[in-house]
Amino acid sequence: MDGEGQRAAASWENGTLAPVDRLRSERADSPTPGLVEGTEPGAGQKSAMFVHAQSFEDLTAEAEEEARRETELDKSGECADDLKALEEQHSNDVSSEARTKEEDVSSEAWRSHRKHVFVLSEAGKPIYTRYGTEEALSSTMGVMMALVSFVEAEKNIIRSIHADGCKVVFLTKSPLVLVGVSRTCQSDKELLRELQYIYYQIVSLLTLTQLNHIFQHKQNYDLRRLLAGSEYLTDNLLHRLDRDPGLLLSAVTCLPLPSSSRDVVSSSLQAAKSKSLVFSILLAGDRLVTLVRKKDQFLHHIDLHLVFNLVGSSSSFREGEGWTPICLPKFNTAGFFHAHISYLEPASELCLILVSTDREDFFNMSDCKKRFLERLSKRTAYTALKEALKCPSYSVAQVGIPELRHFLYKSKSSGLYTSPEFPEVYQSDEEQERLMGLYQDLHSCLHHPTRPLRSFYRCSESENLLAWVTSGFELYLCFSPLGTKALAVSAVTKLLKWIRKEEDRLFILSPLTY
Amino acid sequence: MSTRKASLTDKQTTNGTSKYVLERCASINEYYDISFKVMLLGDSAVGKTCVLVRFKDGAFLGGNFIATVGIDFRNKVVDVDNLKVKLQIWDTAGQERFRSVTHAYYRDAQALLLLYDITSKMSFDNIRAWLTEIHEYAQKDVVIMLLGNKSDMAAERVVKTEDGEKLAKEYGVPFMETSAKTGVNVELAFLAIARELKHRATQQPSEPKFKIHDYIESQKHKSGCCGM
Repeated sequence: MDGEGQRAAASWENGTLAPVDRLRSERADSPTPGLVEGTEPGAGQKSAMFVHAQSFEDLTAEAEEEARRETELDKSGECADDLKALEEQHSNDVSSEARTKEEDVSSEAWRSHRKHVFVLSEAGKPIYTRYGTEEALSSTMGVMMALVSFVEAEKNIIRSIHADGCKVVFLTKSPLVLVGVSRTCQSDKELLRELQYIYYQIVSLLTLTQLNHIFQHKQNYDLRRLLAGSEYLTDNLLHRLDRDPGLLLSAVTCLPLPSSSRDVVSSSLQAAKSKSLVFSILLAGDRLVTLVRKKDQFLHHIDLHLVFNLVGSSSSFREGEGWTPICLPKFNTAGFFHAHISYLEPASELCLILVSTDREDFFNMSDCKKRFLERLSKRTAYTALKEALKCPSYSVAQVGIPELRHFLYKSKSSGLYTSPEFPEVYQSDEEQERLMGLYQDLHSCLHHPTRPLRSFYRCSESENLLAWVTSGFELYLCFSPLGTKALAVSAVTKLLKWIRKEEDRLFILSPLTY
Repeated sequence: MSTRKASLTDKQTTNGTSKYVLERCASINEYYDISFKVMLLGDSAVGKTCVLVRFKDGAFLGGNFIATVGIDFRNKVVDVDNLKVKLQIWDTAGQERFRSVTHAYYRDAQALLLLYDITSKMSFDNIRAWLTEIHEYAQKDVVIMLLGNKSDMAAERVVKTEDGEKLAKEYGVPFMETSAKTGVNVELAFLAIARELKHRATQQPSEPKFKIHDYIESQKHKSGCCGM
């Protein structure tokens, strides 16, 4: 098992994106879940579906590297004053021209939002703001760009400003600059991760090639012209970042489904292939039912989340069949794929996404969908699938650990995670976001850039939390505040055994290729 | 059944639209005699999707504006002189970034509904650019119809009906004002298109030519008036 671990690590360091071949023979015999990558519960049997994503370091690695080259610059006092002055100046010159649905950017309410996100061009032109209108913020964004350029002139990079309970994080991704302003206790790294997602969202709409081309031609181009009508995608992505554990864990969750049924669905999808079809993805809401890919082509979880976001944000695919260009930035930032998006039945939650390389492939894709549906509707698995949709999640009570309230479990090698529905105590939106915030805290401790922790136990008034990371999995547990540490530790073994027992249903163990 | 069969031209019968096929297809609600591709074009937010939904489902999509992503493909079968005409309708996104996808599907289209919003001067001014694009990418004999949508919003109107008529005349295309909200002229627009396409496809040399302009004028006066 040790050798196995080393091999995995080695391939990671070499920078290979393809998953390593793993020995799976031992896993079947052993009732104790393996802790090593590739043998943990939920690890795929043949090969992973996704680009081998170790964890979220994968996502922030680029930024880390850039940062390592330059020393971190922390301008607290002076910049905070600048920022305050700027906000004040702002409140004077911004009139109330904002449209009714937009809020006044000079108001206290606007300032007190938990998390602001701004996107601007290197010329300082506003591209996106989460709250308020871009027009009203043009001078604020100008100052942001001035800060970036000022530090750059000294051959340095501005990374963050910490002031007065407020963090300002900068991400320069030429030709764009992204700025996050947060009142949460998230680390810089977490905030940077969120900005990365926003950056990829924009790239997925335009491709990096087009983005570069535009700004090379015309530095002061107003990018909002090309992004018109896509603001809701970014808004929704930001909302997901606060709520969806998948984005935190860099993983995707599956619809619980007996493996026999899932296999039939997968093979029906596999049979409906076409020359330029690269990925066939079947979703049930925010959950993956199955994914079939072209041999040797891997989808990155970020790209998949962008697809989820596109499908989940728009009701325009509900009727008829959609056909849209989409760039999958982790696959290739230079070009567009073309996605055929349609629901299997009008009122169904099941959405099929067929990703093709050919812009003129609509009718082929439409035909693939028809073939898939014809084949599937003859099988009983389709009934089982529809049945499974009625309970897309499970209760934590099934695990049989009374003190356990909720958990997140991610299998690293498959890039899939599982989590029960929120229990009674976390029913409200605020409570769910608070719990997600706690998980985010744990996550940043386990993934601290210089002092990462292996495990972490924390007691608080409202709940006790335990986080544990091994080379095979990441586990976050939430217990009632009355539990003890010993109890929490024993719960881990029990939970892992339960997941192992249920892994056929909760994970996709045998992903298919065309 | 016999009347329907009689109305079929030789073209369709050789295509295999026998009585047997006809009945079998009807049972799965997908039967049609002839099908055409129609495309909705125009600036973002002029109401392309709303016009389509009004035509297809008889409903109005009120509330928030949801931009169409890429292109959206829907079918509707209509009756023209006892002939089932399937309209395959491409609803396109008005945004600039989707232009290249729309271009790729222009040349398949047999009819184009070009929309502007009577409350937006900009969308009207862009019609000329759209027509230029159409001439560049679409089939030479494509049927074009100009629609001034949102005719129910009289108070916010900035484009006069006469301006629309004038522009349409200049390019020799039929024109009418529609409202997806009240439904005025929406059905007529699609039916006129269907009728024109059907006549083109099935016309016998002896038959008189179908005149879409005259047809629209005659129908418009019958159903029009309200909200216009």
